Amino acid sequence: MYNVWNNVLAEIEQKVSAANYTTWFKDTTLLQNEDGNIIIGVKNSFLVKQLRTKFLDLIINALKNNDIEVKNIDFEVQSAGKSKVRSREVLSTPTPIKNHLKSHQTTTSHQTLKPEYTMENFIVGSNNDLAVAAAKSIIDAPGTRFNPFFLYGGPGLGKTHLVQAIGNALLSKNPDYKILYTPISDFYSDFIDSVRKGKGNEFHNKFQKLDCLIIDDFQFIVNKEKSQEEFFNIFNSLYQLGKQIIVTSDRLPNQIKTVDERLSTRLAMAGAFDLQLPKFEDRCAILRAKAELLDAEIEDEAIEYIAENISTNIRDLEGELSTILLMSDVRHMTPLELIRNGSATINRSSKHHTVSSKQVVEKVAHYYNLTPKEMCGKSRVANIKNARQITMYLLSKELSMSTTKIAAEVGVKDHTTVMHGIGKIEKDLKINFILRDQIEEIKEKIYG
Amino acid sequence: MEIEVTQEKLSKALNNVSRVAVGKVTLPILNNVLIRVEKNKISLVTTNLDMAVVDFLPVSESKDGTITVPARLLAEFISTLPKGETIKLSSKDDKITISAGKYSSIINGTPADDFPELPEIDEKTAVVFKMGVEEFKNSINQVIIASSNDLTRPALTGVYFNTYDNILAVASTDGYRLAEKKIIKNVQSEINVIVPTATLQEVLRAINEDMEEIEISFNEDLVRFRLGEVEIISKIIDASFPDYQKLIPKDNNIKITIDREELTRVTKLAALFARRSASGSIILETKKPNILSVRSVASELGENDSNLETEVTEEGKINLNSRFLLDALNVLDEKNITAEFANRISPIILKDKKSTDYTHIIMPLNQ
Repeated sequence: MYNVWNNVLAEIEQKVSAANYTTWFKDTTLLQNEDGNIIIGVKNSFLVKQLRTKFLDLIINALKNNDIEVKNIDFEVQSAGKSKVRSREVLSTPTPIKNHLKSHQTTTSHQTLKPEYTMENFIVGSNNDLAVAAAKSIIDAPGTRFNPFFLYGGPGLGKTHLVQAIGNALLSKNPDYKILYTPISDFYSDFIDSVRKGKGNEFHNKFQKLDCLIIDDFQFIVNKEKSQEEFFNIFNSLYQLGKQIIVTSDRLPNQIKTVDERLSTRLAMAGAFDLQLPKFEDRCAILRAKAELLDAEIEDEAIEYIAENISTNIRDLEGELSTILLMSDVRHMTPLELIRNGSATINRSSKHHTVSSKQVVEKVAHYYNLTPKEMCGKSRVANIKNARQITMYLLSKELSMSTTKIAAEVGVKDHTTVMHGIGKIEKDLKINFILRDQIEEIKEKIYG
Repeated sequence: MEIEVTQEKLSKALNNVSRVAVGKVTLPILNNVLIRVEKNKISLVTTNLDMAVVDFLPVSESKDGTITVPARLLAEFISTLPKGETIKLSSKDDKITISAGKYSSIINGTPADDFPELPEIDEKTAVVFKMGVEEFKNSINQVIIASSNDLTRPALTGVYFNTYDNILAVASTDGYRLAEKKIIKNVQSEINVIVPTATLQEVLRAINEDMEEIEISFNEDLVRFRLGEVEIISKIIDASFPDYQKLIPKDNNIKITIDREELTRVTKLAALFARRSASGSIILETKKPNILSVRSVASELGENDSNLETEVTEEGKINLNSRFLLDALNVLDEKNITAEFANRISPIILKDKKSTDYTHIIMPLNQ
C-alpha cells in the first residue's frame, strides 16, 4: 500500500508544479484504504483545506489510475510522532513484487556492504566505546534513539568499519531489510546522472523505500549545493518515517559548510559520536586482535614496539603489522627478531632526526605567511600567537624538545608559556578539524 | 478591485500581516499578501502554512475583486508615503496601481487563485474563551519566557492551554524551569492544547491600545485568536505536554518573603561575577533569624556576597542559574514576592506575595 501511494505521488508530481508538489504533497502518507474509504495523512491542518478544495480531483484521478477504488477520501492531520507508528504498520504489509525487484536492482549498482566488517571484529577501547554502545543500540532498535547516528573521526580510525558492521548486523537480523551504503561521492554522481537523464523522481523514490541509509565521508558534500538540498529532502522523509540514517564524516556537522544550516543541526540532533585516536593500550589490543584474526604469531614485545612507534591511526597500525608479518614469513624470523636486528624499523621514526628546529620554525612561519622573526617573540596578535603555539606543539611532538629549549627557540618568556601553548593546541585539536588539517599540511611540508 | 483608504489604516494593517509572509522559497506566493474585497468588506491575508494572519480593513469606497502582491514591498511602500494621504488601490491584469496625491506606482502581482485556501474554525464545535487583551498579554509574557526552542521536543516549543478545577491555565517549560498562570476562573469547557510560541508572539505583536477583548477559539487541530480587526489562525502542536502539576513541589519548609527590586539588584550584582560560568551559577542561602545571602560562586574575576534582611523560616541554600532567576523576577508583578524550596536539590518556587495566580519554578544547579 505504501508503495502504491508512492506511485500515486509520482503521478501527481508530473501534473503539478514542483513548488506545489513539495508544499502540498511531499509529506503525505496513505493511512488507510479499506473498500474505497481512503484516509490520507498530512502534516497540518493548513494543508487539508488546500488539498480538499484545489487538488481533490487530481488525487482521485491519480488513485484511479493506480487501480485504487475511491468511494470517500478523508484527510487526517498527524504529527511526526504519530506517523512513525503508522507508517511502520503500513510497511509490514507485503509490497508488490515489481517494486521489490526494482529497489534491489538499484541497490546493487552501489558499493555495498562488505561482509568482513562485523561488530565482532571491531575492537572496543576507551577511544570508541561510546560509539560502539550507540551502534549496538541501533542494531537492537533501528530508527529510534540514535537516529540520525552521526559518527566522526580522523582517517583510518574505523568509521567505515563500524557503520558497515551495523549494516551487516541489521541485515543478519532481518534479511529483508533494505540497506543502502554509499559514499557521498557516489551519492552526488548518481544524483547528477539522474538529473541529466531527467529521472530525478526515480532517484528520490529509490531512497524513499529504504529502511536504513548509510552515508560515508559526508564532508565531501561541501560546495555541492543541489546535492545537499536533495540529501536534506531524503534525510527528512526517511527521518519522518522512522528509518535509520547513519552518516560518517571526518569532522563535526557544524564544521561542514552546508547551504542550509538546518542540515547540520539535524545531523547532530541525536548527538555526534567520535572515534578518537587509540591510546597505547588500545593500540596493543588492536594489534593483538588483528594478529589473532590473521592467525599469526607475534611476541608481546614486538606488538608494544609497533604500538609505541605508530600513533597516527589504525590503518597505519594494521599496515605496519602486515608488513612485519609478511617479512617474518619470507625471512623465517620472528617479528621481534626482525625488529631487533633493525630490518623492520618503522619508517616514521627515522624521519624525525633529519629535520632541525630551525626548519620547523621556518616552515610554520612560511605556512602562515609570516617571517620567523615576526612569529617568534612576544606579539599578542591572535594569528601570530596561534602560529607560535603550533610551532611549540610541533617542536615538542615531532622533535621531542624540552619545553625550556622550545622557549628559547621561539623567544617566549619561559617553559610555562610553552606548556600552556602546547596544552591549548592539544585541546583545540580534539574539536577543531581545520586546525588538524593545517597541522597535517605543515607536517607534510616539514618532511616533504 | 478598487479601494480607498487612509495611509495610517492601510499601513497599520499591512504591518500586522506582512511579518508572516516571509521565507518560503518553495512556494513564492506565500511571500504575497492576498487582498480580497467583497461587498465593502476588505481582508488582507498572509500565511506561512503554519499560521495565517487576516486583517479586516474598514474602508469607505470599494469595488469587489481579489489580487495578491508581494507583502513586504507593499507594506514598505505604503509606510513610506506621507501620513494623512488618502490612498487608492486598484487592480487590473494582475497588476496593482497605487495612487496617493502626487505619488503613484504599479506593482506586479499574481492572481489570487493560486493563493492557498485557509482552514476555518468550525464555529459549532469550537471551544471559545474571551478575556481582556491587556491581561492576556501580561499572562502570555509571563509564561512564554519558560518555553523552549528545541525543535526535537515539540511539546516544549509552545504554550500549553489547559483546564483543571474549572480554571483555564497557561503553562510553558523548557525542562529547566516552568511557568504557569491561571488566566480564567469558572470555565465550563475542557481543553488541553499546545499553541506554538511563534503564533503567540505574532498575537502579542498584533495587540495595540485600542483593543479591549481577545477571543480564543479552539478546534481539534486549529486555534484562532480574534482581536479587533485582526484574526490569527494557527495549527496547534500535536504532542503531549508533561504533567506539570506533579513537578511543583508541595512541602517547602524554607520560605523567604522579599522585596522584588532588592532581590533583582543583588542577583544582578552576583551575576556579574558568575558571567564566566556557562550557567551563570549563583547561591542563595538563608540564615536565621532574618538574613538572605546571595553570592556568586568563586570565579577568577573575584567574589560577591550580598546580605539582605528579610523574613526567613529555615536555614538552607540552593544554586540557581542567575539568568533564569532574573527572567522570573522580571515578570513577577508585585512589590513583594515569596520564594520557597525544600532543599538544594528540589526546585525553588517563586510567586507574588498576594496574588497566587502565577507560579514560576526553577530547577537548581548542581554545585
